[in-house]
Amino acid sequence: MTVTVLPEVAGTSRATLRRNFWRGVWRVLRRKPSRMAGVGIVALFALMGAFGPLLYPANLPRDDNALYAPPSLAHPFGTDFEGTDVLALVVTGARYVLLTGLATAFITVALGTAIGLFAGFRRGRWDTALMRLTDLNLAIPGLPLLLVLSTVWKFTSPLEMGLVLGLLGWGGVARAVRSQTLSLRERGFIEAARGLGLPTRHIVGRELLPSMAPYIAMNMLIAVTGAVYAQVGLFFLGVLPFEANNWGVMLNLAVFSGGALTTPAALPYLLAPLLAILLLTLGIVLIVDAMDEIFNPRLREE
Amino acid sequence: MKRLATMAALASIVTASACGGAGQVDGAGPGGIFTTIDGSKQINASAPINPFNPVGSVFAGYNGMELAWPKNDPTDPNVFYPAIARSWTETPDQSQVVIHLQPNARWSDGRPVTSEDVKVSIGLAYTQGGTAYALDPAAAGAAADVRIVDPATVEITQGANKSSMFLSNLLSTVVVPAHVYGRLLPGNFWQTLKVAQYSSGPAADRARASITGLADKVIAFAPKQDVSAGPFVLERVNPGAALLKRNPYFYNNKVIGPDKVKVLNYTGNEQIWNYLISGQLDNAPFTSVPAAVMDRIRQVSGSGVISGYSPVVTSLAFNQAHKPYDNVHVRRALAYLIDRRQVTRIASPEGGTPAVTTSGIHARAAKAWLGGGFDALNPYRLDPAKAAAELKAAGMTRRGGRWALPDGKPWKVEIHVPASFSDWVSAAKSITSQLGDHGIDASVVTTADYTLYLSELAQGKYDIGFWLIGLGPSPYNIYQRIYGQANGWQLFGGRLKHVAPGTEGNWMGGPQTVQAGGARVDPGQLTGDLNFASPARQKQIIGTLAEVTNQQLPVVQLWDYVNTQFVNTSRYTGFPPNDSEALRLSSGVWMQLGMIRKRQA
Repeated sequence: MTVTVLPEVAGTSRATLRRNFWRGVWRVLRRKPSRMAGVGIVALFALMGAFGPLLYPANLPRDDNALYAPPSLAHPFGTDFEGTDVLALVVTGARYVLLTGLATAFITVALGTAIGLFAGFRRGRWDTALMRLTDLNLAIPGLPLLLVLSTVWKFTSPLEMGLVLGLLGWGGVARAVRSQTLSLRERGFIEAARGLGLPTRHIVGRELLPSMAPYIAMNMLIAVTGAVYAQVGLFFLGVLPFEANNWGVMLNLAVFSGGALTTPAALPYLLAPLLAILLLTLGIVLIVDAMDEIFNPRLREE
Repeated sequence: MKRLATMAALASIVTASACGGAGQVDGAGPGGIFTTIDGSKQINASAPINPFNPVGSVFAGYNGMELAWPKNDPTDPNVFYPAIARSWTETPDQSQVVIHLQPNARWSDGRPVTSEDVKVSIGLAYTQGGTAYALDPAAAGAAADVRIVDPATVEITQGANKSSMFLSNLLSTVVVPAHVYGRLLPGNFWQTLKVAQYSSGPAADRARASITGLADKVIAFAPKQDVSAGPFVLERVNPGAALLKRNPYFYNNKVIGPDKVKVLNYTGNEQIWNYLISGQLDNAPFTSVPAAVMDRIRQVSGSGVISGYSPVVTSLAFNQAHKPYDNVHVRRALAYLIDRRQVTRIASPEGGTPAVTTSGIHARAAKAWLGGGFDALNPYRLDPAKAAAELKAAGMTRRGGRWALPDGKPWKVEIHVPASFSDWVSAAKSITSQLGDHGIDASVVTTADYTLYLSELAQGKYDIGFWLIGLGPSPYNIYQRIYGQANGWQLFGGRLKHVAPGTEGNWMGGPQTVQAGGARVDPGQLTGDLNFASPARQKQIIGTLAEVTNQQLPVVQLWDYVNTQFVNTSRYTGFPPNDSEALRLSSGVWMQLGMIRKRQA
């Protein structure tokens, strides 16, 4: 009886918890329209990344007689140097940017969390060794290293780009997660878990990790924006391979080939990817704001 | 972006302040301050005032002088404007050149310019190497002996392996004062040079090492002050600009208009555009400019553009060691699919004209060399039908609207360009789009910088890359870009050898001999022959090479550059006209030639 009923009770309570959680999320989002806007923006970019390239032919159409055409109904952001619709470039270019951002965020958070948790929980020699490794990672000058790497590695895939950015960026997360772990491991519920003889895997996976999940999730989102800036910056500098619809490449060509900072002709070509980056960042920041309230009991009570 | 804009704005403000300051504080006379940029280098305030230093504060035509200044002739590399050399004579066999110096030439410290200065300058040039100053006497066109005839006459003898470029290379020698630079040459320098040039074995090797070992010392040499034989002498230099004042001892001082020259620094083309739009520059040499920016520049009061011939051509070069580009039909097909007019319109609307055909030469020089033969070349006009026929002849197949390799594998065309050349990047993108329209999967691959690009190109890593050709006026220089080291032919010590594709910088990988006019010819050998052939024979060789290039297409010629000089006549007038032979020289040389006068109110 007990054996059959208890799991059901546990399952029911988990489902209830989940339902309550999502209700809470919905409540928090509705409290400020800006948060709904944030979700909307990020959802829009996610759709652009997933389905954007399907909306256009593989070779984007060009108008040979409309080079750097001004904004119009046909071309809301004008055209580029060879008469291609700038909006089409932004939409089809979203996939690379977002995939890189997600890959970077995943690697940053996975590595940073794993190393931080392990170091903080084990302490001692492991902590010392892993934190020196973290210091080393934090000391690596990211941009110069990427510039050097770009001479030998072409970064043709967004996952390659994300891998490198992720490997360069996990240090901060590891440090923060270790600090949190050091603090949490002294708390009563962890001591109780230890006292009950629960295995380390359970303590770390079921007790520590959920307590830090909000923090990790927010870091993940912020890592996406960092990755977007980093890769767009590298493309802008011209050190990464050319993709006409890459936002960084668009910025590069608008400035250095179109003279967008000198004349208004290529300005829409410059502003469109900038606006996309701005919107994506804004959407993420608004969601992080909502997450802060969802996971922070004090903010929730206010 | 914001940072860039801010930096540009700050730079403009700083420069504007500097300009104003210079005008008032330095008290330029009635000739005023002429403002320009040096197109060949950016200013490095910490660099020495030394013409042998690549970033030194010596500006050609202003405080840097050569024996003579080359004219912009499409075919003859040996026509010059006098400079330190008032005149020169050359024996018919080109073995000896006698140079007569300007009788009134003086350095800015009042000392006369003598034959000793020229000899020391030649000695210093040997430490740096170069065609006329190679240490190997077997090298073609090397100076073998320098003799001072009298204080104003120098006689230079060419080595055994003669080159028609000897005079040209000789007259391009930078002249520096012996009383400043002479100490850089050891007392036994000329004896060591003789050993290096005429001996062999360990003694000669030691002598050569001793001379080339001086190179760094010469480059690093920093005179305390500028001693110039040019119309100007450096007054001061800071990171934003160099200011030069009139050299009162310049041999032709009376024709110099401005009292001072300000050479502004820049970090990129955008800064030059901003200088031009703000009307700061009286002259700027050729700068790549987008059409919209050009419109803004034209709207500036007094702004004008002088254009003329520029012996530079952009091409798409193939690595024929890589499949399928070893097949001439594939190269021809690509030539038929590229709309050069549209590519030029996108990439270089102001600084280029679409190539009429592929001959390996700029169209203007080609017409001069080939005459009616130029029109007989296949123009490779946009023709998808012919391209399809060529691709079929190459065994390519079309599946699902895309062309595939003869073995059925997908054909991916990769066009490589250096990322910093925005006009090439735009052109490459336009070409890939055009090829995409005709069922060829093509993409642009950029390389972080030009040095790396050239290095990877030489290693044979690319299938197709952008490549400058037609670098005239010397016919040898024109064709060695296609049938020279990059394609396996190495000319050294008067001997020509062909190396296998993929080795020793042979990245073009073309065949050593090709069929032309019913006979097999060796284009590299013909190119080498241009060094010492008579003018009539040169014409004949160029006809053959143009035909070979047109048929074999080791490159597809995209656009011929136009030299576009920006001038502003608000403060100064008398700039050279369109197509002037002086157009590719600095405005300092224009002043030496009596051009550029202060505008009268």
